[in-house]
Amino acid sequence: MKSFPLRRNTLVLGATLCILAIFAWAGWANWEYRRQESERLLANAAQGELVPATGGMPEFVSPLNGKPAPAFTLNDLNGNKVTLASYRGKAVLINFWATWCAPCKIETPWIVELRDKYAGQGFEVLGVDTEGDDLKKNDKAGWAKAAAAAGKFVAEEKIPYPVLLDGDSINRQYGGLDDLPTSFFVDRKGVVVTVQVGLTSEQDIESKIQKALSQ
Amino acid sequence: MRALKAPFVATITVLAVGAVTAHAQGVSSNSQKRALVKTDAVTYLFPEQVSVPMDKPSQVALHFRVAQGLHINSHTPTDDFLIPTNFSIPEGSGVRLQTATYPAGTVMSLPIDPTAKLSVYTGEFVIQARIVASAGNHLVEGALHYQACDQNQCLPPKTIPVAIDVIGK
Repeated sequence: MKSFPLRRNTLVLGATLCILAIFAWAGWANWEYRRQESERLLANAAQGELVPATGGMPEFVSPLNGKPAPAFTLNDLNGNKVTLASYRGKAVLINFWATWCAPCKIETPWIVELRDKYAGQGFEVLGVDTEGDDLKKNDKAGWAKAAAAAGKFVAEEKIPYPVLLDGDSINRQYGGLDDLPTSFFVDRKGVVVTVQVGLTSEQDIESKIQKALSQ
Repeated sequence: MRALKAPFVATITVLAVGAVTAHAQGVSSNSQKRALVKTDAVTYLFPEQVSVPMDKPSQVALHFRVAQGLHINSHTPTDDFLIPTNFSIPEGSGVRLQTATYPAGTVMSLPIDPTAKLSVYTGEFVIQARIVASAGNHLVEGALHYQACDQNQCLPPKTIPVAIDVIGK
């Protein structure tokens, strides 16, 4: 009988510790949930999703669809400043690529051909070199090397449209360019009509150009 | 016995409520999935630790894995503009990389352009590193530089750490 109060006290103590452990775990779980939710929202803030399209080719739904294309000023291969705003009134394909990107090299001749085909209707292409090498602004040797590599690519592919350097500096505004090639099709009013991530087909690119021209 | 029943029931009730509360928090590991696919194209597998005779060249097989659905350029890609896979060890680590022997790449082409050939690594691959270690325990942070793509798009070039504990005896 004397052991009975001891046993009861042990049970009460055990129950109390269990309750405290559960509260501690719930607190940690709540904090972890909020942290993961915050990360998810941040990751999704500028990223789009691939959705099935009626034409059979999956379309990339970007948060920039239907919104003004973010403004930028970048240098071309000759060091001249080029601004997106100066192309208002034309439909523009902003094509992000890199010299090390094999799919980019495949689609470039298609883009060159389509640019020549639709230039007379008020269409232009801006090629934006996005090497992902995070060159510092004062790294003259690095920038010279980047310009040389891009220039070589431009010469080999016979690119007639402006090619701009330092696409990495506008990476965030354009949704975090993790995948290349990425193309933004912009109408004459400067609004993003559609976005394409990855290699598609010449026919698909042409249909997107026509859509941008018709808006 | 009846006196024990009440605290016992109370404990079970509290535990049940706690379990429901914890489950409702919905902690999930899924939030990392998209980031994982994009940032972990290549993973270093093993070894984590090697013992080698000090001051003598020793061969170490470094095992890596490329994520499913992706490929990286081999050490000798088919075109100058492609970024080769390259392993290195920093100077001053107590371990010197004498040579690195890379596997031959698999030749593939993208479905949309069968004429353009690429030399790539997919799945698991092994780099044979010939190292010379001085006496002692060296925690070496080597580096693997690579650039990954799938069949339609490419990720930026990336360097991942290759951490190995090298013991020179």
